[in-house]
Amino acid sequence: MSQYIIENADFRMQNPSNNLVIEVAELYKKYGKLTAVRGVNFAVQRGEIFGLIGPDGAGKTTTFHILAGVMEASAGDVWVLGKIPRNARLGIGYLTQQFSLYLDLSIDENLRYSAGLREVSNELFMQRRAKYLQLMGLEKFGDRLAGQLSGGMKQKLALCCALVSQPEILLLDEPTTGVDPVSRREFWDILATLANEGTTIVVATPYLDEAERCSRIALMYDGEIHQIGTLKELRESLGLQRLEVRTNDLQTAEKVLLRAIANSPNIADVQTFGDRLDVLVNNVATGKSQVEEIFHHHNLAINSIESEEATLENVFVTRLRQQGSDPPFVPFPKSKSSHSQSDIAIGAYDLQKIFGNFAAVKGVTLEIKYGEIYGLLGANGAGKTTTIKMLCGLLEASNGKIYLGGKTSNLRSKELRRRIGYMSQKFTLYDDLSILQNLQFYCGVYGVPRRSRKQKIDWVLETCGLAGQENLITGQLPGGWKQRVAFGASVMHEPNILFLDEPTSGVDPLARRQFWRFINEFARQGTAILVTTHYLEEAEQCNRMGFMVAGEVVIQGSPSEIKAQQPGELIELVTNSTQAASDLLKTELESWRVSIFGDRLHIVLDRPKTELPEIRSFLQNAEINVQSVRTIPFSLEDAFIGTVQRAQQKV
Amino acid sequence: MKRIISQCIKELAQFRRDRLTLALAILLPIATLFIYGYAIRLETKDIPIVIQDFSMTPLSRSYVEQLFSTNKFAATPRIGKAEVASAIDRGIAKAAIIIPPDFDREIKNNKTSTIQVLIDGTDANNARVIQNNIKATSQAFLRSSQLQPSNNNVVTRTRLWFNPGRKESLYIVPGVFGVILWIFPSLLAAIAMVREKERGTILQVYASSLTAAELLLGKLLAYFLIGIAQAIFVIILGAILFQISLVAEPSSFIIGTLLFLTNSVMFGLMIGTRANSQNAAVQGVATAGFTTALLLSGFIYPLSNIPFPLSLISNVLPARYYIELSRDAFVRGTGWLGIWYAPIVLFLTFLFLFNVARRNLSRMQLPD
Repeated sequence: MSQYIIENADFRMQNPSNNLVIEVAELYKKYGKLTAVRGVNFAVQRGEIFGLIGPDGAGKTTTFHILAGVMEASAGDVWVLGKIPRNARLGIGYLTQQFSLYLDLSIDENLRYSAGLREVSNELFMQRRAKYLQLMGLEKFGDRLAGQLSGGMKQKLALCCALVSQPEILLLDEPTTGVDPVSRREFWDILATLANEGTTIVVATPYLDEAERCSRIALMYDGEIHQIGTLKELRESLGLQRLEVRTNDLQTAEKVLLRAIANSPNIADVQTFGDRLDVLVNNVATGKSQVEEIFHHHNLAINSIESEEATLENVFVTRLRQQGSDPPFVPFPKSKSSHSQSDIAIGAYDLQKIFGNFAAVKGVTLEIKYGEIYGLLGANGAGKTTTIKMLCGLLEASNGKIYLGGKTSNLRSKELRRRIGYMSQKFTLYDDLSILQNLQFYCGVYGVPRRSRKQKIDWVLETCGLAGQENLITGQLPGGWKQRVAFGASVMHEPNILFLDEPTSGVDPLARRQFWRFINEFARQGTAILVTTHYLEEAEQCNRMGFMVAGEVVIQGSPSEIKAQQPGELIELVTNSTQAASDLLKTELESWRVSIFGDRLHIVLDRPKTELPEIRSFLQNAEINVQSVRTIPFSLEDAFIGTVQRAQQKV
Repeated sequence: MKRIISQCIKELAQFRRDRLTLALAILLPIATLFIYGYAIRLETKDIPIVIQDFSMTPLSRSYVEQLFSTNKFAATPRIGKAEVASAIDRGIAKAAIIIPPDFDREIKNNKTSTIQVLIDGTDANNARVIQNNIKATSQAFLRSSQLQPSNNNVVTRTRLWFNPGRKESLYIVPGVFGVILWIFPSLLAAIAMVREKERGTILQVYASSLTAAELLLGKLLAYFLIGIAQAIFVIILGAILFQISLVAEPSSFIIGTLLFLTNSVMFGLMIGTRANSQNAAVQGVATAGFTTALLLSGFIYPLSNIPFPLSLISNVLPARYYIELSRDAFVRGTGWLGIWYAPIVLFLTFLFLFNVARRNLSRMQLPD
């Protein structure tokens, strides 16, 4: 058998005209009884960015392992650069899901080791080291230990290490999980540059806004690829349009619209965001009139209805629903009566934290009422986690006043702790206990009454889709599942103040929606919720939010308010040479103002009236043809990046 | 070769960074050297005994004198009028000697006088030592008091070779070198190997085209260098502290030490390729390595005392051959002539360990 493969490999190598660098046919992978990958077919062309998206446990990581030659396929043909993956390893750079760096080595040592492993000559190494460190903006930190870098910098360094041998193919398995939006956008800009230079990139990501920047996207579910296409093709195949409906009474509106799905084939899906509802419809015109009619019928006022293109998330969620993998929504078994207070639950006044001579948090002031979802957003290291730890009493504040659940002192008292739920960034579960043991432990710790314990534990298991598997060892669960269980564990005692520090990091889009349904549900029942996240699309669901930069909250408000406060305009530019235009404009404008989205550019201009004509002529001089220019609304991500960058310039 | 060197440089850089392992690599071996070097004493001295002399004659007293003159025994004062036996019950004495009232008379009449000796048999080994000592003293007493005609024809003239002063550290310390150099380099190497698996960085190694042999040799080289530093440090310190010195021509010892270190590191790496967590690796080295090196290597208990199936293990134990080498270098001093086989065995055991480790890693892929 192996003889046959090698002969075949040689045959392939004699056909360099073939522009397919990766070919996968009928790939299967079995682990014991479990089939992780069942009959996957796809091909990737040179210079493509090929996105692999799917829920947790879809078989993405297994596929990457096989492509990288670190795991044997059970059946099927895989050709990488015309060879079997093991023989093509020197042409592949692989970023694994866990950090693929040695955290106790410096940047230079990491790079040198990677170069040594892949037989890069010293001369070439120095040349590439300089080039890529500069590209990643890491050139100043050569001696710093990898463990001391922020999440975003770590991933850039890992990419650098992979690039040092100049692989023809980059395999990136969720490279931006846990990385803040600013670094993420920079990371993707670098990927776009690399792809333009001819590097083929296969990437998996749980961030669907990022995935929109891929040349082609494959939707993977339960070990199979269900659809492959460009963003446009996927949207068209979905055949649905998105209506953004703004109203003052979101709660009732969602309820009545959800009821309408059943009797109207035109309306496909309804989802609440912080200050708006997204309604997916087959036909825009009839959809609009239908929504208006329903609102009128229930005496609800509509502030505005706008039609937009469906997002990749809409495609993804709809397709997964068709597969029946929507996690069940089981109402939380409440045993305490809900309070509907409108008092302040969490208050921070000029809160400060100083570590040695480093001010991690400098003067944060915020107020969160019962029933409110407040989002705290910021880059890695902006001080979000420190703020949360101070607010829930885990860390002593250096200065300032805290008001928590009616108390200003003794925040660690027993009664107060019973009313607070905290889910930290890192998994709070014991890896070597079973799921059931973990849940029982937390029931005991938080003093959940014995009679309701079983009910609560069953609820967690059912919502996580783990009923009947409660004796699995927690360490064996994929990251996304662990997060779900951890979330369940932190709300079992029905806290009325909930702190969630990156609860959805690494969780797939469908499960994330389920998370947010629960978060919303808890808020409606009067729980005050403080949440941090790197997913700005889901941050839209917060009632209010604050952006943190370098220890300070620089802007607060509802998502719409924040977007409206952005100076300037966001311009979408379509040209015949996206990459060249981007490179050129980045020399003219600050680099954060320009980013590539698939085949178009997004540019932030403060004075579009004067700047736009300049840009046009500038591009024309460089013989780049501008095909279309239009102003588009700021997304929360654009707002975030703009705010952060402007604030950093001031510092 | 370049890849082996690059792997080695990386390991050394990581080792240098980790202050904890750095401390463990130096401090733990020193602590072990102290504990084992000073605490293990096989010779028994000053065994507490109690004597009840009903005879109370000059002859019986000189017999008692003779007992204590060997330094083997120390007298325990009798408390009150209590039974002698109760001193043993209470653990105050390990043995009791009761001299009868007619001791003096019977001996002078050339009759046999019976002395009662009660020995605490809890510690079987010690009991035998006491028994033999009392017997020998009694014989010597009879001879020296000219009470027994010396009509023996066989006379033994004993000379102790290699260690005429019966210095115990000469026996223990070279053995301790073997135990220390077996445990610590292998512990460090096992942790280094398994850490890559725990942190997931092993995937990067798999994804490069580094072969199993290159990976192992790279790590071997790094921890071999660290092991040499440990060896120099521990051996010199041990020699100074316990005042022992090389008595043989050193080439066999040096070559043997280097070979032994490769064994030790490779043993650690082999455990590391099998274990999946640092805990398991430490347990593996501790049980499989430490116990065998301590009990089956001839370090304390003579090899000839190890019963049949276990003795097979001691035959393939690198620590056993190294302890032989080290004892030869510091005590016997025969050099290559007496110990030529040990380096050969050590080389063979290294090849064996290397191949097992390589087989464990052979595919350089994730297990299914």
